[in-house]
Amino acid sequence: MRNKQMIAMLLAGGQGSRLGLLTRVNAKPAVPFGGRYRIIDFPLSNCTNSGIDTVGVLTQYQPLELNSYIGSGASWDLDLSGGGVFVLPPYVQGSEGRWYSGTANAIYQNLGFIEQYDPEYVLILSGDHIYKMDYSRMLASHIQNKADITIAVRPVPWEDAPSFGIMNTREDGRIFEFEEKPAQPKSNLASMGVYIFTFDKLKQYLVADNADPKSKNDFGKNIIPNMLKDDMRLYAYAFEGYWKDVGTIMSLWEAHMDLLKNPPEVDLNDARWPVYAKSPIMPPHFIGENGHVENSMVTEGCEIYGSVKGSVLSAGVVIEEGAVVEDSVIMPLSTVKAGAVVKRSIIAENAVIGAGCRVGADKGGIALVGDDTVLPDGYTVKAGAQVNNETLEEAK
Amino acid sequence: MKDAMGIIFASKDEFSMRELASKRTVTALPVAARYRLVDFLLSSMVNSGIKKVGVVMQGSYRSLMDHLGGGKEWNLHTRNNGLYILPPFGGNSADGYTGMLDALKANMDFLRRSTQEYVLMIGGRIVFNTRFYDMIRFHEDSKADVTLMYTRFDPISFDYSGSSHNARVFVNVNESGKVTDMEINPNVINYPNILMDVILVKRTLLMHLVDVASARGFHEMYANILRGGVYDQSLRVMGFEFKGYCRRMETIMNYYSMNMDLLNPAVRRELFGNNPVYTKTRDDAPARHQPGANVKNSLVADGCVLEGEVKNSVLFRGVHVGKGAKIKGCIIMQDCDIGEGVELENAILDKDVTILSGGKLIGLKQYPIVLGKNVTA
Repeated sequence: MRNKQMIAMLLAGGQGSRLGLLTRVNAKPAVPFGGRYRIIDFPLSNCTNSGIDTVGVLTQYQPLELNSYIGSGASWDLDLSGGGVFVLPPYVQGSEGRWYSGTANAIYQNLGFIEQYDPEYVLILSGDHIYKMDYSRMLASHIQNKADITIAVRPVPWEDAPSFGIMNTREDGRIFEFEEKPAQPKSNLASMGVYIFTFDKLKQYLVADNADPKSKNDFGKNIIPNMLKDDMRLYAYAFEGYWKDVGTIMSLWEAHMDLLKNPPEVDLNDARWPVYAKSPIMPPHFIGENGHVENSMVTEGCEIYGSVKGSVLSAGVVIEEGAVVEDSVIMPLSTVKAGAVVKRSIIAENAVIGAGCRVGADKGGIALVGDDTVLPDGYTVKAGAQVNNETLEEAK
Repeated sequence: MKDAMGIIFASKDEFSMRELASKRTVTALPVAARYRLVDFLLSSMVNSGIKKVGVVMQGSYRSLMDHLGGGKEWNLHTRNNGLYILPPFGGNSADGYTGMLDALKANMDFLRRSTQEYVLMIGGRIVFNTRFYDMIRFHEDSKADVTLMYTRFDPISFDYSGSSHNARVFVNVNESGKVTDMEINPNVINYPNILMDVILVKRTLLMHLVDVASARGFHEMYANILRGGVYDQSLRVMGFEFKGYCRRMETIMNYYSMNMDLLNPAVRRELFGNNPVYTKTRDDAPARHQPGANVKNSLVADGCVLEGEVKNSVLFRGVHVGKGAKIKGCIIMQDCDIGEGVELENAILDKDVTILSGGKLIGLKQYPIVLGKNVTA
């Protein structure tokens, strides 16, 4: 195998429990986003657009949907000979097999995969952020700084800094201190969970970490502090541009509302930086004689006979006559039946909102209807509530 | 149906299509807000399990080749079989073959090297969506030599007034499905059944027919081979009726009414409901209906940004409709830019047309205005 300058490893293993019912059958990165995408389309498209042609996707939770979504990788031009996208679940070695015990352990268990490509650098990504980033520029800065690890950071509002991993840097960008969720932050540069390692250093620290039984096998908790302690060259790379963690129901909903701003916070129609997605193979959307759509995003396969405002509709969504959808996110193949009212809600995939239902409210928390849920006609889901078929059954 | 291969014949340049077909074969005509005509034919074949398809190129075929690429979108990028582009060959110029037989003669090697039992041939100017399993079963059960797909003639689906150089072939079919008479371009229509240019025949028989025709200097499949075979009973020619939605693209009115038909849910269901239609993807973002947009009874593709009024229209990918614009009864192809306050009625805009702010173009329903590619008005 010819050697590669850099390959990417995408940590997609998280259960995403903060997304509640949304991740019941779906790993977080496979959660639909923005009408025609899934969250993982953003890092994968970033890789393709940055010229990275080999990506390992590390997953251990509900891999089916993610596996079938990624398929051959053709949607991201990652169906290549000598590279491409690979889903890497935990596996049994000899008589031993174990789950990924942490982010660092997931990479450790796949050192064999990485070594096949003999890369000089390894890019570590997480699968739950919406952003467009050119990793090749980050690599240029890594090489220029002769860094052992470069950590992408972005400035966050000072009042939010205590909820992030904060990097304290010198003027030249070298990191001298890392503080996980500091009460009194000295800097507002938050880690984005995007790292470039020089591979031999990565390997050295992963092997040492694996030998330490007390380690939590986590990049933020163990690897980075250990490297700091050893006075390795840690540099920050400042990213400016839209970046949104979509790890909670509220932030996922907010990220959708960001798309509807004029101009949108993240431009999905930029031909120089396309965001690739698997095509649903459906006809263009249709708006009926009495349909009304304003300030919304609508994609293929939708049929709209009711009113839609301030909302994002995924492929194959049907909004029947007299239904009202406002400030909501409707995921693929769901139907909102006649006369139902949906406000400030997320409706997951393949759900049916029965005729005359009331879901969510003008204010308050975001209501969530889980995958495949069939809400009986006239049912009410209060603001901030979460329902699926199981909770409906229990309530009976 | 891995035992059948397909051949699609790109249509020659069609003058009755005006600007729409001046730089592209009708087979590559953009239809239905995001497709090319050929998508329906390829998808029907692929959905029927056909794994090998040759596309005979003639006329202005560059846009057709651009669209097809390696055949990936139709799952025709396989190790064996897959998509074969068959450009003009054997002394034939890009102007086109004299007839279907000449096109087949030029591609005899393609037929000879194939292993499939049957060849399904389709003329590249028809819009329909079907699976061919029933037709093949009918062909086998009726021990046919050749099976021709036909549909009930109605003047809307098959325009008979245009100046097309394509044959309109009417057939009489008896109770058992046998074709007993065949009339080509008749002045008075005696039979209600018109052929759809969908022909099923054994590969070896087809090669034989092409050889025989070539030796006798014949060019036309229908006039020289099939009609003769029907008359002297040397061929058992059967007719298989297609009862679904189908339109042949010959004139601007055919084209216009076919696209407008898609606003009818029953037609959409027929063309998209059962069998997926594959096409080249473009990675546009979902369409944005901006504040002030007002879209009614319209089909809209991804990538559109809509700020004005759109009614009874078909919008392809990446169309921008400016504030205060009013669009009614239009077909607007990809990446057109409609300026603020523009009024458009009964118009067909080819790709990349720009209508500057304040412009006004009103066509007739019976005679829509056509603006060619890249026009700025």
